[in-house]
Amino acid sequence: MISVGTSSKMANNRTNAATSSTSSDADSEEIAEQILRKKTIISPEDVLTLPKITEGYLCTPDANVYNIDFIRFKIRDLDTGMVLFEIAKPSVVLEDNQTEGKVEETDLNSGRFVRYQFTPKFLKLKLVGATVEFTVGSKPVNKFRMIERHYFRNKLLKTFDFEFGFCIPHSKNTCEHIYKFPNLDPESIKEMIQNPFETKSDSFYFVEDRLIMHNKAEYAYNGGV
Amino acid sequence: MGLMTVLKKMKQKEKEMRILILGLDNAGKTTILKKYNGEPTNTIEPTLGFNIKTLDHKSYKLNVWDVGGQKSLRSYWRNYFESTDGLIWVVDSADKRRLGDCTNELHSLIEEERLAGATLLIFANKQDLPGALSSEEIKEVLQLDRIKTHHWKIIHCSAYTGENLLEGINWMVSDISARIFTLD
Repeated sequence: MISVGTSSKMANNRTNAATSSTSSDADSEEIAEQILRKKTIISPEDVLTLPKITEGYLCTPDANVYNIDFIRFKIRDLDTGMVLFEIAKPSVVLEDNQTEGKVEETDLNSGRFVRYQFTPKFLKLKLVGATVEFTVGSKPVNKFRMIERHYFRNKLLKTFDFEFGFCIPHSKNTCEHIYKFPNLDPESIKEMIQNPFETKSDSFYFVEDRLIMHNKAEYAYNGGV
Repeated sequence: MGLMTVLKKMKQKEKEMRILILGLDNAGKTTILKKYNGEPTNTIEPTLGFNIKTLDHKSYKLNVWDVGGQKSLRSYWRNYFESTDGLIWVVDSADKRRLGDCTNELHSLIEEERLAGATLLIFANKQDLPGALSSEEIKEVLQLDRIKTHHWKIIHCSAYTGENLLEGINWMVSDISARIFTLD
């Protein structure tokens, strides 16, 4: 899932990934992230080796020199055609208000962090379409690529890796990925519902193999429970 | 087993195809794409960039790029040619005034080296409109018989009603798969 910057009025206290690092494994994972943060150029290969959700951001908001701005995010249930979830920047009109999920909180400063609240039904979906809409600044963008990694606790659930390629200056673009939900066993589903916001994702965006944006999201599936 | 065999087998395993939809502005490219996906088509704005859909179709994963057709955007089309397996050229069959423009743009695409291997499907769209030219007439006007370098086919359709959209994509997918996925 891709986090979209919104100017929600909700609280801004970003809860840092509360990972209990007890084992020496965790220490070496910590080191992997520390090393990456010292690099001036972070490549797709670098983030693909990360073993777990990152503690912090691997680049600053001003690394986005292309002014790439995510303005809408939408999820459809392909089996019913229903829009389950949609958020957009205030300047963008929502197409449909019938949504199941909601945004819990966002990082007002940068729009880099977002918390989603879903109902348990969400984990039972089979085929979904996830749409992002984004605008691009005055520079042409080459080889725009997204790598997104979803974890429950520190177990990797899914990696998305998609190259948008070239983006036209001043363009507005959309991309819908249609995918099957990863098959989760009933025990994991129960755990994910019972532990809100322990399902997390890192979204890394690259231009010409250089990290330019890093967004984070957390998900709860206990809405209405 | 040679390297090419290995490469082909790898591609076969993923069965991915890259399809590019082009045509003049207001031809109906985005409507076609949305119709394939079961999305509402009542409010479609001009595309000022691209729309991408990744969809599963008959065990293939189709990555479909719809790029805006306004005059100012056409010079950027070439940025999307690389690795294209299929090109869908959409024609507004009722826009007689711009068919000359449409013909020229199509024939300059045909000459593009990076599109040399692509299967070409021409959709004679907007058949639901009164005064729309038939696919036979569009074929004449667009001088399609001049095209010897690509596998091509013209199909009349209506993105509005959905008529023939599946027939078109089915033909394209089977033509591409016959070219790139069957090796033996």
